[in-house]
Amino acid sequence: MRSTVWLDIVIAVAAMAVLLLLPLVFPGKAFSDFMIRLSAFAIFATSLNLLVGYTGLVSFGHGLFYGLGAYSFALMMQKLGTSIPVAFVATVGVSAVVATVVGAICIRLKEIYFSFLTLAFQMLLHSIIIAWTPLTGGDQGLTGGVPRPPFLGIRLDDPQHLYIFCCAVLVVSLFIMWHLVRSPFGYTMRMIRDNPRRAEFLGVHVWRVRLLAFVVAGVFGSVGGLLMSLFVSSAYPDFAYWTVSGEAVFMILMGGISVFFGPLVGAVMLLLLNDVVTRVTEHYSLMLGIIILCFALGLRKGLLGFVLWAWARRRATAN
Amino acid sequence: MDPQALLTCLSTASCVITQTTGGLISGMLLFLVAAGLSLIFGTLKVVNFMHGSLYMLGAYFAYTLYTATGSFTIAVVGSAIGVGLFGLVFERLFMSRVYNTDVLMQLLVCYGFILILDDAVKIIWGAEFLSMGMPAAFQRPPIMIAGGILPVYYLFLIGVTLGVALLLGLLLTRTRVGKIVRAAAVNPTMTAALGINTALVFGGVFALGGLLAGLSGALAAPVRSMVAGMGFSILIESFIVTVIGGMGSIGGALVGALLIGLVRSFGTIGFPLFTEGVMFLFMTLVLITKPSGLFGKEQ
Amino acid sequence: MGDGNHIEEETMTDTQRPRRTRRGFIKAAGALTASGLAFPYVSRAQDKPIRVGVPTILSGRVAQLGISSRNALQIDVDKFNAAGGLGGRKLELITRDSKGKPDEAANNTRQLINGDGCEIIISAESSAGAFAVQEVIRELKVLCIHTNSETSSLSADPKIRVPTAFRTARQGIHDAIVSAAYAGSVAKAKGLKTWMSCSPDYAYGRDNTSLFLEYMKRFHPEIELVGEAWPKLFQADYTENITKILQAKPQALYSCLWAGDLVSFLDQSGIYNLFAQTTLFAINMADYTTLTAVKNLPAGIHSSSRYLKTFPAVPENAAWGDAYKAKFGDFPTNWSWENSLAMTFLTTALKKTNSTDGAKLADAMRGMKVKSPFGADGTVTMRAEDQTTIGYAIGWGTTIPKEPYVPTVTPGDWKSILEHEAEWKKKMGFA
Repeated sequence: MRSTVWLDIVIAVAAMAVLLLLPLVFPGKAFSDFMIRLSAFAIFATSLNLLVGYTGLVSFGHGLFYGLGAYSFALMMQKLGTSIPVAFVATVGVSAVVATVVGAICIRLKEIYFSFLTLAFQMLLHSIIIAWTPLTGGDQGLTGGVPRPPFLGIRLDDPQHLYIFCCAVLVVSLFIMWHLVRSPFGYTMRMIRDNPRRAEFLGVHVWRVRLLAFVVAGVFGSVGGLLMSLFVSSAYPDFAYWTVSGEAVFMILMGGISVFFGPLVGAVMLLLLNDVVTRVTEHYSLMLGIIILCFALGLRKGLLGFVLWAWARRRATAN
Repeated sequence: MDPQALLTCLSTASCVITQTTGGLISGMLLFLVAAGLSLIFGTLKVVNFMHGSLYMLGAYFAYTLYTATGSFTIAVVGSAIGVGLFGLVFERLFMSRVYNTDVLMQLLVCYGFILILDDAVKIIWGAEFLSMGMPAAFQRPPIMIAGGILPVYYLFLIGVTLGVALLLGLLLTRTRVGKIVRAAAVNPTMTAALGINTALVFGGVFALGGLLAGLSGALAAPVRSMVAGMGFSILIESFIVTVIGGMGSIGGALVGALLIGLVRSFGTIGFPLFTEGVMFLFMTLVLITKPSGLFGKEQ
Repeated sequence: MGDGNHIEEETMTDTQRPRRTRRGFIKAAGALTASGLAFPYVSRAQDKPIRVGVPTILSGRVAQLGISSRNALQIDVDKFNAAGGLGGRKLELITRDSKGKPDEAANNTRQLINGDGCEIIISAESSAGAFAVQEVIRELKVLCIHTNSETSSLSADPKIRVPTAFRTARQGIHDAIVSAAYAGSVAKAKGLKTWMSCSPDYAYGRDNTSLFLEYMKRFHPEIELVGEAWPKLFQADYTENITKILQAKPQALYSCLWAGDLVSFLDQSGIYNLFAQTTLFAINMADYTTLTAVKNLPAGIHSSSRYLKTFPAVPENAAWGDAYKAKFGDFPTNWSWENSLAMTFLTTALKKTNSTDGAKLADAMRGMKVKSPFGADGTVTMRAEDQTTIGYAIGWGTTIPKEPYVPTVTPGDWKSILEHEAEWKKKMGFA
């Protein structure tokens, strides 16, 4: 185990180095904008896949944490004038607490009812954001920008610094989640997904594992929202709307639900698709709808899932 | 928040009557959509997230038929049947392929269709909102009942909806068709083994659900303007209704729809800015205490 | 610049000449190369169109906003290009659909500037989107004209204002003052004492209505507010709001519902006979798409002019409305003229500065006065202090069910608008 940790750290550092060098290949600001958005969505979608793909908890309301992360971070920066690291840690703390409470209530329910309840909680947050205008700005979102004071020599109002910061958060988040799913705890998660009753017979505290998975997913979901609020320098009620959860689900399925990096690939695909399709046609909905159908009816493994499957099969037949 | 205004309203008869009828009316159209959603879930165990789009199609079909023929009856009947057929085709061609997969795949197919239909409507009928206008037969002054006001069209609407609810109840409980549908809902494999074509049953249920949504859309057309994307809010509300009433229960859908109608109606007076929040709060509480809904059978 | 221009023209005519001599061509090519070396930026910029990025909404319920905005912009862009553009450089519109999501609006704006090389942004976004675009402009500092957001604080609040961002949309505070002055005078004449409001529950609806009521009470303290109804934006069913209004029995009702929502509200109120007892003041009624959509338009609804080709009653305005209708088969909207006005300011500033630099254009735009068919006196001014337009046509009238829909419009008094606006700004801490 120890040696793989070191190997993974080396890989993570290498990935970070590549990300730092990429702007030399793609010097435009459009590229760094894309990567910043990608980091937010990739962390968010991967965190949802901890629940959906690894624990078998189909949450329809993961956007709760995306919205929560964006709003709590942006509000702390705007109203309390805290430093970025403090607001970051506090946002993670707030999300952990909320995830514990919401998770404890939701995971009692089975299957589709779990999905419904998570959705209800998310829409409740959305309604609160809309109704609590003096604090949240209501449907207008937070106006006037999110201040980004420098810390430790890092200036997040500089696009280059923001790019590096987001890439670092992305790599670290994926690294932690990757280790979580490969740890004994990760095996327990999958055991519960495949057969909760059997896991229970084997002495696993199903409830506890599910709750912990829910909290971890919630915390990383909020980190995704936080990065997005840094990027747009605001927070909007849309971040807590159910379409956000839907987008994350779609990213997972596009990339591949059974592969750890599936959601990351899905996020790249959906963002690219969004950029390209809105560029060439105003019938974005029509195009996206057709593509969604292709994935739902044809390519159910997701793109990365399919590629890995095809590769494995080729190797099997070659042997 | 204005609890004072709510108390004042509750203590005057005319306010109670008018707000109650108002709540009933918005509840009625909601019921038609929710009943189809609930029926489909009860039988097929599928949440049809594109049900709101069927409602939208119903409204647009009615608009076209009414503009072409000038007959409101043809518009309503034709549109309900048209959307029912659309539901059947959709079920056979697409939905039936994802019954045995993850719920997420079903969600995706529906989401894909929501997007496609919204854009299709925009391409066919234009991006501008449309209004059908009130048919001449209903252009008459409202009726006064005990200080409350009731428009003639809404009286007609309540009548039609209650009639449909009754027919639906009879169909499911008193007829052979109803028995088959209920049997297929409980155990599709066993039903199939008994020589019943479950594919036909599933398609039929979807068509019936579509018919109800189309009917609702057509009946709403004279009073609600149409625009691509109009199905979305209806979907959310009817979804809340079915969850509260119990997925699969027609009676639950009726009670849930009326409840939501009344929450909105009195909420407008007491807590105008948080009526939607209250609906979701309600849904949350029901799910926590009785996940299968007020009238749903325990799983 | 002048030199580059001259040479460019010479080459153009040269290449177009059918019997072109080889010597002439070489000479011109050489000259062009020389000029390219001498003025590398200018000559490169010469052949490149000026890209104008338009983040807007083209899908979903408010697609009409984006479509009618883009149409209006296109007319003016074509006209500008046909007249030779900016020293040969043509304008090119690049629209992007934000689907009504503010974060997409922000992202699209960044992409338009960073990815597509747009040098100017016309933000045809609704309010929430406009505020998101504003934050991007604060960072990227190109010229931006907001054409559809009417929310006053976008330009009035110094904390939100951005040096290179302007607005050519009407402004909420102006509307409120004119509306209250008009509604007040009608109230006085007809003895409408009890009032109620029914407006959509979102930022625009709340701001617009509270400002209107504030001025209404100020101008006419004797009126009494007997209730408020707040339907959701895009609500399908207004029954509970209508019954609430019926309960309160106000003599007059103010509403800033718009487009399809207003049509639904009118249809549903109609069957309750609501307007038999209550006079409606619907600020967003007098826009052709709304006027024509209502099947049984009740006569005698009071409305502000959103876009009417008969107000201002000048031939240029009528011609513009007809040209739009002829080209797109549809009437222009309130959003259309706001975008056309933006193009007037933009093209004037481009010609004046001969540059696309955000700061230079902004300097030119501040305080600029242009001739416009949509001006109250034939001109509209971009006020320097808060970079928003004043002097545009604004007025109220009553509807009839057929053309011209609003036969007589009482224009608002800009002198009074500006006085009250200044006072309001002071009160809000904006000035």
